Amino acid sequence: MTDTTAAVAAKAPAKKGGGVGLNIAIGVSAVLVAAGLVLWAMQLSGGMVQTAMRNLDSWGLYITGFMFFVGLSAGGLIISSVPKAFGLSGFGGISKVAVMTSIAATVAAIGLVVVDMGQPFRVWELFVYSNLGSPLMWDIIVLMVYLILSCVYLWAQVQAEKGKVGHTALRVISVVALVTAVLVHSVTAWIFGLQQGREMWHTALLAPWFVSSALVCGTGLVMCAAAALRAAGYLKWDQANLVKLAKLLAVFLLVDLYFFGCDLLTAGFPAGEGLAVVQMLVSGPLAPFFWGEVVLSAAAIVICVVPALRTTPLMVVAGLCAIAAIFCKRAQLLVGGFQIPNIDLAAAMTPFTVTNWEGNMAQAYAGMVYWPTPLEFGVALGVTALGFLVFFLGLKLLPLKPADQE
Amino acid sequence: MADKKLVMLVDTKRCIACNSCAVACKIENNLPKNIWWNRIMTVGGGNLDSPEGEYPNLKMHNVTVACQHCENPACVKVCPVGATYKDPETGVVRQDYDKCIGCRMCMSACPYTGVRSFNWEEPKYSLAHAVGDADAPEHQKHVVEKCTFCYQRISKGETPACMDLCPARARHWGDLDDPNSDVSRAIAGRSYEHLLDEKGTKPGVYYLV
Ligand code: SF4
Repeated sequence: MTDTTAAVAAKAPAKKGGGVGLNIAIGVSAVLVAAGLVLWAMQLSGGMVQTAMRNLDSWGLYITGFMFFVGLSAGGLIISSVPKAFGLSGFGGISKVAVMTSIAATVAAIGLVVVDMGQPFRVWELFVYSNLGSPLMWDIIVLMVYLILSCVYLWAQVQAEKGKVGHTALRVISVVALVTAVLVHSVTAWIFGLQQGREMWHTALLAPWFVSSALVCGTGLVMCAAAALRAAGYLKWDQANLVKLAKLLAVFLLVDLYFFGCDLLTAGFPAGEGLAVVQMLVSGPLAPFFWGEVVLSAAAIVICVVPALRTTPLMVVAGLCAIAAIFCKRAQLLVGGFQIPNIDLAAAMTPFTVTNWEGNMAQAYAGMVYWPTPLEFGVALGVTALGFLVFFLGLKLLPLKPADQE
Repeated sequence: MADKKLVMLVDTKRCIACNSCAVACKIENNLPKNIWWNRIMTVGGGNLDSPEGEYPNLKMHNVTVACQHCENPACVKVCPVGATYKDPETGVVRQDYDKCIGCRMCMSACPYTGVRSFNWEEPKYSLAHAVGDADAPEHQKHVVEKCTFCYQRISKGETPACMDLCPARARHWGDLDDPNSDVSRAIAGRSYEHLLDEKGTKPGVYYLV
């Protein structure tokens, strides 16, 4: 960037202030990670009966969080690699920070799959008995490639700045990283979208829609992270770049909502089974999440498109709204998949799902079929803290500042 | 393709919803507390054993729901480690407790609500000692289980336990590819239904109607 003298002047105090603050942040995240580990050990020894997941809603907060973090991760990498891959002007010096957010989010995503597993010590079987036809297997492979590639990409950027990696090489890596980022998204969507057993998930739109959601929350995350780092004096960053990201965010949000609208219309119009899905979202038990997503998205769009509203604090709010909106989407998708049973018959239900001896499915599904227990919140918080820890450690140990601000 | 096509017929005209098959299954496989691989559901009013309609025009019948042993099983496709798999010889969808990593992909994939159970805790039993077949695999914490057509019995040439105790003789079991088998004779001339045919799983359980 142009104003290097100011950057140099800002550097000394920034390092000091950032140093203490950063150390505290690292300490706090580490404590939360440790607490999460303890809770996870409790979950494993006492049994997953301590979670709110049961046979009829066999996934919960962990897999919701997994989808969410995969989304966050792809966004940051796409923001960083698109300008490089296509030779466009970028977003001003935040490329490496954006990739660091990707790495951190990928680590959290992998962590959430691990805590969701009943038998995490059998994880090695994935590589010995791999069923390559399983979408989960595809995702595990792609996620690992993606994590390694993000690290390589970050390393290549650092080397390029030192003149050790050529421009073309960096561009090639950017393109590969971009393709992998899109793949990670699609494959995560296919874990759900290829399941013929769940009415709400089984739609071809799911993969593109996951990509658009990733762009929304990834952009939101990069906006918040970059603005925060600027406020903390870690790096200098042009306001014009923040505005550019905000405008992009508005576009991504509109695309995401458009996909949502298309999907709801296609599901609901024939007035068949899909109508139940639409009703569940719009006026049923999942309505708070549905309307939450719509309202938060709308608020973020308004902030991003009205020039007078594009102040730094409001744009950060828009970024946070976008992230929260996508979280709502993930939650409704996950719970929604389980909310509507395929066999809706009065049945000899196990007490695992209905405690009332006269209970039947209709009663079981009267409210939301799933709400996490404190243990699940605790473990998920621990994994989230792990993501933050990775990010903060990256800030501390790696040269993530723009080269001209070092 | 499997060498045989082992299927089960359930005659809904004969079933009296006595739950004997559910209990036989529970005992034979020493199922833990709260786990039922086979359940009898009422097609009728909103509650168990309740008819639909107004007296005297009442209607009710029953379907027994357990693993459908599909020809095109959704669960087998998605299991990342092959812990749920189609037995090449018999076509039965089997479950390997030692292999299962507890990811529950199969539970999301299976369209038949509630036929797959996860042991959410260390298995607990109502009786102090184990019951049923000594060859039935031992239950494990944090893995998925379900009906196996009593694999331990059929591999010895016996029939699944649920059939043996059925007082109404509503169940038939055998190789549909063999024209002289019990099932082939029972299905001849009868019309049948599958559960959730539209999901394309080609179930191996036939409901005679
Ligand atoms: S829970 Fe077990 S059987 Fe089911 S998909 Fe996962 S590893 Fe396979």
